[in-house]
Parts: sequence; structure tokens; C-alpha cells
Amino acid sequence: MNIYRFELKSLRKSTIIWTCSIIGLAALYLSIYPSMAEDAADFKKLLAAYPAPVREMLGINIDTIGSLLGFYSMVFSFISLFGSIQAMNFGVSILSKESRERTADFLFVKPVSRNSIVTAKLFASLTMILATNIVFCLATSILANIVKTADYSSKVFLLINLTLLFIQLIFLAIGMVVSVFFRKIKNVLPISLGFVFGFYLIGAVLAVGENDEYARVMSPFKYFDITYIINNGSYETMYLLISAVIILVSIAVTYLIFNKKDIHAVN
Amino acid sequence: MNVIEIKNLTKNYNKSRGIINVNLNVEQGEVFGFIGPNGAGKSTTIRTLLGLIYPTSGSATIFGKNCIEHPQVRSELGYLPSEVFYYDNMRVMDLLKYSASFYKKDCTKRIQELADIMDLDLKKKIDDLSYGNKKKVGIVQGLLHEPKLIILDEPTSGLDPLMQQKFFDLIAQENQKGATVFFSSHILSEVQKMCSRVAFIKEGKIIKLEKMSTLQENSYKKISIEAKSILTTDMFPIHGISKFEVNENTANFIFKGNINSILKKISEIELRNISIEEPDLEEIFMHYYTKED
Repeated sequence: MNIYRFELKSLRKSTIIWTCSIIGLAALYLSIYPSMAEDAADFKKLLAAYPAPVREMLGINIDTIGSLLGFYSMVFSFISLFGSIQAMNFGVSILSKESRERTADFLFVKPVSRNSIVTAKLFASLTMILATNIVFCLATSILANIVKTADYSSKVFLLINLTLLFIQLIFLAIGMVVSVFFRKIKNVLPISLGFVFGFYLIGAVLAVGENDEYARVMSPFKYFDITYIINNGSYETMYLLISAVIILVSIAVTYLIFNKKDIHAVN
Repeated sequence: MNVIEIKNLTKNYNKSRGIINVNLNVEQGEVFGFIGPNGAGKSTTIRTLLGLIYPTSGSATIFGKNCIEHPQVRSELGYLPSEVFYYDNMRVMDLLKYSASFYKKDCTKRIQELADIMDLDLKKKIDDLSYGNKKKVGIVQGLLHEPKLIILDEPTSGLDPLMQQKFFDLIAQENQKGATVFFSSHILSEVQKMCSRVAFIKEGKIIKLEKMSTLQENSYKKISIEAKSILTTDMFPIHGISKFEVNENTANFIFKGNINSILKKISEIELRNISIEEPDLEEIFMHYYTKED
């Protein structure tokens, strides 16, 4: 428990900053919704002028863009990108920071096993990701109620918001498993940005191209199709399963590798 | 009882040599010196012992248990690494409390005592401390739970002589209270002061393990002579001479063996001056090293 509490404290500041940024981003976009909803017809015309692939890439669906949820789905592609960077940052840094900040010789000679250290750090990151999502859900619900022009399904709204949590969990797990393969990570951001934008671009390319259904597996950003969620009021079970598998396998590998890892001296 | 047991321990790194077939036992209550130049494998040995790195082969245990399989055994361990780094944005007291939270006892009183001895300000931020002061944090951190085994890896770097003395006194006290001390260093005089036995490591191998008393008594003599005539390198054709340096009519060397035999030889020369001293460990140590080359 002491490691968990300690890690929570050390994550607190960056969690607050990330949460505020994500909410700020959502607020910024949602604030233009009322004016856009007024001129929905013009706006649709404008967007229709965009090439279809670009619309696909940005997650714009002309049929639904006039509604709050349709508009929110466009906003959400940026929010999930931001959220992924946060989660990936947490994942990459949480285990590697002991080597980076050269505190490994302090923590890893304490009378606790490596497994319990990984568990404490994992749970601390999970707690912070959960906190981010709870605050984000509350804040966006309030914002959506302020800007709404007509009633919307709060269930679907919640379902959309929950995908942030799923994507963040995937990237947290990927971040952790990536980090254990490095001997020492001097800088977290290049690695997390590289992975997140890599997957994002793969997702964008997938959206444009005429691929079969299974190509979506390549990018976590494509696991939760918001248009599908709006239309069906549910997730695609297969991609929920794929997400769960990715998370569990990544975390299992993290434990295995980290347990066998040599903790090298600082130099 | 052996507190530390290292058996046939080998660690290979991908590119560089680690340690090769190291065997060591440290008995309860002793102060054991571990001497070698930088890069000889001292830290590798210690890190394997602590469970930070995995051995390629062989085993290393403390209190009869392997640190990786039995992490709990480290609750009686205090470790001071050669370079200390802590979470920068913490206060010293918070770090020490965090450290103490890993041990199932109340360490508050001991933290205060140690901080007073080492003259450490507990309210400061770690970030704002000088290197020497960080080292003090390391010392307090390593000793606050009154461990039964203290492992020191080059402990004195960054401490001024006064603090070094306080530190050695502290370690001596802990030793008197029953703690076993494993002291790694490349500075021989500090090991000389404290240790009862010493192991020399060179290029990953233990080259000598000896009692401190034997080392010093084993009639090693450092002899300097100044003669009236010019001296030559082959003037003492007897066994036991090393590090023989001659410069015109002066000569310096280390002699190991029967004093009488060398004195007979010396007496054949017309001398201006002679000095016979106890060599310090450094010279004995260099003697081992040059002999191995």
C-alpha cells in the first residue's frame, strides 16, 4: 500500500493537468456547437465540400453532424487521441522512472517483490486513469447539457465517453509492456507520442482505404466506432474482446519481463 | 553462521565482462572488506547479492536466502549505493518516512538520532541538497531500520573527512551492536581501518581473500635504501622482492619473507640511509595486482 500511495501522489499533478486539458479541449469544441447547430444546413454543405476520405479521417459523418451526439463523435476523435497520449505516458513512465530518475537502487532493495511493485504501480496508474474518466464524464455531461439544442440519449453519450476509458486502458497496457523492453528510457514523450500517433495514422489510413473488417484490429483508435455506437446503442463485442486480450496479454508480459530484468547501476 | 554466501557466482553482460566464479562467505558480526579498482566487478557482485541483477550461474544469498525468491529477507538489509539519487521533489523527512514504511517497525526516533549525528537537515528538499548531503540522506536511509546486514558500496565519496569519520564511527557502533558489514571500496586506507577480512577482486575474479591481520603481519616490509655507490637492479638475488625501483644510489621495494635474509644482503652495501616501514594496504594490494599481470 505504501508504494501505491506514493505513486498516486507522484501521478497527481500530471493527472490533473491532463484531465484539465482534455476537458478544456472538449469544452472548446462543444462551445461552438450551439452556433453550428443553428446553421446546420450551411455547415453540412461546407463539410460536404471536403473530400470523403478527409471526412472519414476526421471522423465526420455528415448525416449526424447536426445532432449533439454526431458532433460530439467528431470531437471525440481528438479527445481519445489526447487521452491515449496521457495513458501511454503513464504506462511508459511508471516502471521506467525508477531507472530514469536513478532511484531504482532505493526501491528495488526494499523487502518487497518486483511483482508487488509492478502491481502497486499498475493500480496507481489505473486509479488515476479512472479518476480522469470520472471527472471527464461529469464535466462533459454538464457541458453537453449546457450546449444542447435538443434532447439527446444520455446512455449513448455515456457509451461514447466510456470508450475513452477503454482506449486509455489499452494504451496504458501497451505503454507498460513497451517500457520493460528498454534498458533505460531517457525521455518518455518521444516513445509515447511515436506509438500513439503511429496507431492514429494507421487508423486514419484504415478509415480512408477500402479494407476488410479485420484490418481495424491494427489500430486501437478504430475499435470503438462511434457511428456504430450511436446507431446501435452498444459496442461491437468482438472489439471489446480484442481490447481485453491486448490489455491482459500486455500486462502479463510486463510482469514476466520485469521480473527477469536486470536493474543496472546508474552511470 | 554465514550472513553472506556467494557460491561460484558468474555474471556475463552482453558485451562486457561481469564477474567470474566468485566465492565469498561473510560471517555474522564481521566487517568484511571488498577491494578492487573501478570496473573490477564489485558493484556487479553486490547487485547480484541484492537481487537487482540475475546471476548467469551460481548463487548469492543473504541470511541463507536468495533475495529474488525471498524479497522479505531484505528487511534486515541496509544498503548504501555508491551514487545516491532520490525522488527530487520530496523533503528529506518524507523520503525517510517512505523508506521506513517498508520495514515493520517505528523508525522515527532512529531517523532523528541519525540525522543529528550526520548533521542532516530533515526539512530540506532533496533537490536542494549538495551531493555530500544527499550522501548523508543515503546513510540515514540505509541505517534507519537498524539492519543486521549493512552493505556499503563505495560509501565515502562526497563526504568530507569529518563526516567520513562520523560515518565510520557509526558503522563501527552498528557493528558492535551485532550488525555484519560488507564494505566495498577502492580506497584501501578506509578498509584498512575497519575490516577484519578482505577480499581482492580484479577483472571479475577474486584474486585473494585474507585476514586483515595476516595481510599486515605477513612481514611485508617497505624498504628504502640510499647507498654510497650506484645501485643495480640485480643486487638482491633473493625471493620475495617486488616493486623494485632503483634510481642511481637509491632503491625502494617491498619485501615479503624472512627479514634476516634481506638484512644480510643489505648489510653488504655501504649505506647512507635506510628506512623500513609497514607497507599500507595499497602497496600490498598493488603487489598482488602486479604479480597477477
